[in-house]
Amino acid sequence: MAVKIFIAADRLDSVLEKLSTKIDLWIPALLKDDKSGPTGFVQYTPGITPAFDRQTTMPLKKLLLPQEETLLRFKYQKDPEGSLKTTIALDDPKEARPTLVFGARSCDVRALVTLDRVFANGPYVDPYYVQRRKNTLFATLVCGQTDSKCFCSSVGGGPADMEGSHLRIVRLEDGYLVEALSKDAQPLLADLAEAPDKSRDQLAAKLVKEASKRQVGDLDTKDCAPAFRNRFQQNDYWASMVSQCLSCGVCTYVCPTCYCFSITDETRNLEGERLRSWDSCMFYHYTLEASGHNPRPTKLERYRNRVGHKFSYIPERYEGLLGCCGCGRCIRSCPVNIDIRQVVGNLKENSNEQ
Amino acid sequence: MTDSNPRSSAPAEDTAANRQGIKIVGFLCNWCSYGGADTAGVCRFKQPTDLRVVRIPCTGRMDPLFIAKSLIYGVDGVLVSGCHPRDCHYAVGNFYARRRMEAFKAFLPFMGIDTRRFKYTWVSASEGQQWQKVVTEFSEQIHMLGPNPGVELRSGEILKVSSGLK
Amino acid sequence: MLETDRNQLHKCVEEALPELDMMIGWTRCDPLQTTPVFIRDAKSISSLTLGPFCSQNLAGYLVKPPALDAPPKPDAKPIGICVKGCDSRSLVALIQEKFITRQRVRIFGIPCGGTVDWRKVARHVELGSVKSADVQDRVLVIEDSTTTHRIALEEVLSRKCLGCRHPNPVISDVLIGAEVSPRSTGMETSYRDVDELDAKPLEERLAFWQSELDRCIRCYACRNACPLCVCQDRCIVETREPRWLTQHVGVPEKFLFHFIHAMHLAGRCTGCGECERVCPMDIPVTLIKEKLNKIMEEMLGYSAGLDPEAVPPLLTFNPGETEI
Repeated sequence: MAVKIFIAADRLDSVLEKLSTKIDLWIPALLKDDKSGPTGFVQYTPGITPAFDRQTTMPLKKLLLPQEETLLRFKYQKDPEGSLKTTIALDDPKEARPTLVFGARSCDVRALVTLDRVFANGPYVDPYYVQRRKNTLFATLVCGQTDSKCFCSSVGGGPADMEGSHLRIVRLEDGYLVEALSKDAQPLLADLAEAPDKSRDQLAAKLVKEASKRQVGDLDTKDCAPAFRNRFQQNDYWASMVSQCLSCGVCTYVCPTCYCFSITDETRNLEGERLRSWDSCMFYHYTLEASGHNPRPTKLERYRNRVGHKFSYIPERYEGLLGCCGCGRCIRSCPVNIDIRQVVGNLKENSNEQ
Repeated sequence: MTDSNPRSSAPAEDTAANRQGIKIVGFLCNWCSYGGADTAGVCRFKQPTDLRVVRIPCTGRMDPLFIAKSLIYGVDGVLVSGCHPRDCHYAVGNFYARRRMEAFKAFLPFMGIDTRRFKYTWVSASEGQQWQKVVTEFSEQIHMLGPNPGVELRSGEILKVSSGLK
Repeated sequence: MLETDRNQLHKCVEEALPELDMMIGWTRCDPLQTTPVFIRDAKSISSLTLGPFCSQNLAGYLVKPPALDAPPKPDAKPIGICVKGCDSRSLVALIQEKFITRQRVRIFGIPCGGTVDWRKVARHVELGSVKSADVQDRVLVIEDSTTTHRIALEEVLSRKCLGCRHPNPVISDVLIGAEVSPRSTGMETSYRDVDELDAKPLEERLAFWQSELDRCIRCYACRNACPLCVCQDRCIVETREPRWLTQHVGVPEKFLFHFIHAMHLAGRCTGCGECERVCPMDIPVTLIKEKLNKIMEEMLGYSAGLDPEAVPPLLTFNPGETEI
């Protein structure tokens, strides 16, 4: 049984096609007919343009936490007296199909560690998430991206970090070397391509070694929690950092670890469904209470919450785990170029001065 | 179809038009066209049955987004009717409406929605016959156009249309 | 030239700052980009910058915090603000609709030769590796770790700039730098993209918008960045009563959202292109508004944000116009 295969660059499409007959295959691809345009993970169909050369604009969280998901359906039924009687039909979580994500990056997969803690590891287990999580395998690229906005090494990851991955992909000049890291991934590689020759194998090993030594980002994330608490009430600090924030949802929607959701009942005529959909703590309505009071009325409180959640609340609750995977998407996509590294990095600077 | 209120879905009558599934929404001003439609009914003028009427206080209340929402979600036609210009119950409501609807009419086709599915007209409360004519003509036009395809993508379809934008 | 203009800006702001509540401008945060900055302290003036990388329209901050933390007191000092040509039109529109008064702002007008769209730069170089960037004689010079790239500025200008008719601020107290001549003087050149799409058959237009809007993630960045989307937290796309939009992620919802945005800007949009610039999914959002602007211009002879005394056309009427 093959544990390592080499896919020549010109055979990639046919290998992916073959792979897609074995399992639901998702790959990073262009979402627009523009090679530098936005990218995201899409289900593979022959002919789509893969985008392995750079990090995707959208994270892969939608595979595990879709932007919209039906939790249950309900139906009003009129009884003979004319008043409305409600019957509710529950929808069980759909059977998740075995899925392979081919070409994720280590930051993308590492983000799942955070999501797992929230949705899978208890005390409250989310059956919808767990179903999909169990059935999804990840083939992760050893990342060669040298982007000034990346900082995965600062938050516990790294370009060659394979935590949570089932297969490793090393990009060589003339193709891809794919290696199964776990037993359940091995059958996938059977009959796909030849095993690599020795020189390619050695080259790949060398690249992995180099990548794992590479330090990406220099943000100091130690002791963020107490620093954050110190800063919590210093409004001047937050004003000086994020006054330009537009309070839009870009940073949270492109974030692989942001998982906040909203639940709404959408009714049409006599039928309806209960939806779970992405929400963003940057929105005014996220914390708006029925009374009209809003505990986070301005963007300063909202942005502070985002930083606090990732660098203080999650680490304190989950033994130091950070709620950030260092992918840098929020920095890249921010319309007004707020840099979370600056906001976090400055938490500790002269925090008692003000 | 646009209404999410569970109480408002009376079962449709079994007529030829309904079997074909054509739905037209009419937004009628309380002070004139709604009366005009009533007059037409009282006079027993024969009218097509695929129009669902929404009564509004004045065409000045007419938000073009009512029309947008209807057409986006697959209503086959939208007819707006109010008082003749200079006859508005509130003096100027229909003047505002006229500009908005003209602009909206010109805008619709840009987004790929057939502008023939939307019509606005002026009918007073006494013009039962005129109402019959308007609604018959519009209904015929919508039947000629057939069901509104809406804007929904067929499931799973990935469209990539080259924009040609610089 | 840029250097001289920057020095002039610093000098003017330095003189004016004691009379100002604060100064809103841009500061460089990355070789290719700027971020808005709010200056109250003379020490920070040196961080102010101007030029082709200053893409954000700052006018919106006047009607949102931090400028508008509370209703201004009668004796409040004016707010200083840097505006390009297109930004100044947003200011005029806000004055027209009485969201701000002319006295409340001290306008530092900056004639603009166009702003750089980083997405277009990404077609030429890998953005993450850019070490420095500068514009010299209409050429963008970018250095990364290995090479120097020279790209004609024309190729990387924002789309809105290509048909710009008002590169010089239409309203200002101080003008920084020399006026530039407009790239476009008529409707044909300004609405080229609109006309191109309009020339296609209806089905193709629908398919185009379906494919573009399908990418929308409803982050509402386009709305929040818009200087004229003044409803902000009260926007009807999020209120539950009335309930215009569901939480479904289908294309109809996205269409309706963009219809709402566009119709609420009909006759008000000044074409600053912020909605398109901020879109993380690269949807040509401004194109929708451009069409409405064109309709307003053709039908009613009106362009938004040019005359502080004018009334936006959909907020008024003319009984005489029997055939509009």
